[in-house]
Amino acid sequence: MTAANALKPPADAPYPDLIDHIRFRECLRTPHDLGGELDTPMQWEEKEEEQWELNTFATCETLAWRGVWNAEERRRRQNVDLGNSMYLRFPYYGRWLLAAARILIDKQYVTLTELINKIDEVKKRYE
Amino acid sequence: MSKPQYDRTHHAKKATGIGDPQCFKGEAGPPKFKEGDKVRVRNRSDVFYTRCQVYTRGAVGEITKVCYESPAPEDEAWDNTENPVWFYSVVFRQQELWPEYPFPGDTLETEFTEDWLEPA
Amino acid sequence: MAEKHKPAPMVDEVSDFEILEMAVRELAIEKGLFSAEDHRIWTEYVHSLSPAPAARLVAKAWLDPEFKKLAVTDGIKASLEVGVDWINDPPTGFGTPSDYCHLRVLEDTPKLKHVVVCTLCSCYPRPILGQSPEWYRTPNYRRRLVRWPREVLAEFGLVLPDDVEIRVADSNQKTRYMVLPVRPEGTEGWTEDQLAEIVTRDCMIGVAVPKPGVTTNIPKPVHPALRPVQHDH
Repeated sequence: MTAANALKPPADAPYPDLIDHIRFRECLRTPHDLGGELDTPMQWEEKEEEQWELNTFATCETLAWRGVWNAEERRRRQNVDLGNSMYLRFPYYGRWLLAAARILIDKQYVTLTELINKIDEVKKRYE
Repeated sequence: MSKPQYDRTHHAKKATGIGDPQCFKGEAGPPKFKEGDKVRVRNRSDVFYTRCQVYTRGAVGEITKVCYESPAPEDEAWDNTENPVWFYSVVFRQQELWPEYPFPGDTLETEFTEDWLEPA
Repeated sequence: MAEKHKPAPMVDEVSDFEILEMAVRELAIEKGLFSAEDHRIWTEYVHSLSPAPAARLVAKAWLDPEFKKLAVTDGIKASLEVGVDWINDPPTGFGTPSDYCHLRVLEDTPKLKHVVVCTLCSCYPRPILGQSPEWYRTPNYRRRLVRWPREVLAEFGLVLPDDVEIRVADSNQKTRYMVLPVRPEGTEGWTEDQLAEIVTRDCMIGVAVPKPGVTTNIPKPVHPALRPVQHDH
């Protein structure tokens, strides 16, 4: 057996002794902190607002108005807690909406079962 | 089974008719820095949440404004609002922030809480 | 005239986003976290916002040096003079949850050009400038403006000489910024209305400068919505 044929160590769940300061920082980087990252020129566009996007914005601000959360809690949940993958692959207001759904559950105003059932109920109206 | 009771009225009670961050005025004690001070951005851990941008860490800038008192975002993001701190606006030369930046006159201004700054 | 706003009428092919949005809003109302009326009131408040008061603040500052001094030192007080009360206008009575009550008006000079971004999210001075544009919220703008401002501004059609200092303001905390651009040539003797007309939203973010005869934002493609906002009259 040659060294070249030796099986590589697993990539998932690496041993901690393989994680140096730089890798540790990389794993814990907050997804929202993008300033100065490399990117390419894009076509700057305006976007027509969806009704659900406006409704979402109003829901998030009204939840804060009525003290369910404050805007900084929302930002932390919406722009960091969601994680790196979702941050870039999900729409901007999609993250606002998920954060609003999540706060209701995390603060135990609503159970996840209630949310799942409500989603079903709403879906049925459109069948 | 017990559920926590959240007081949904505490911010409205404190800030109605007053505004935010105005409602925290006077709660942070004397500011450590003043306009014109040269400061360096500390490289503290950004575990879980921060609003101190990584691109500013280690950079030296100048305080342009002592802005307001408010809970730090790291704390406000968990609704821990008992310990407001001073927020400062700091201006940096762009060439201090980015190694390749070609124009010597350009600058960038952004805000920091007191914990993120040390005298330079 | 009061505008009535209600959620979109039932159409085919409702999206997952719309379903979740309705579910969240209905549950919040059922659990007494807010009322349907609260939500409607907030929607109407958002619809009342536009860049017009900010444009008037700029025009006033151009005409009155004392007002300009006030605008630069106390943006909240100056806003009152163009009819915007950051604290009491929003339904909360304590400012909007996301925009707070600390406006800084950044004064451009012939040797200093400001441009605004929020690299961490997309903070924006909504109470005086209206809702933020899509491009301002993109990761692309937020990544690049702080490090390559001249390149990004050039993409918006704004090229400045090397001896003009470009200062990027990154609104990462509770301060909200708007730019007070330099009054352009060719506007001598203009009224406040005439001046306000050429101060567009793009000028007050800092990616454009006011020009006589230009009363609209830099033309950009508009991505259409599948089910855009409905206004009932």
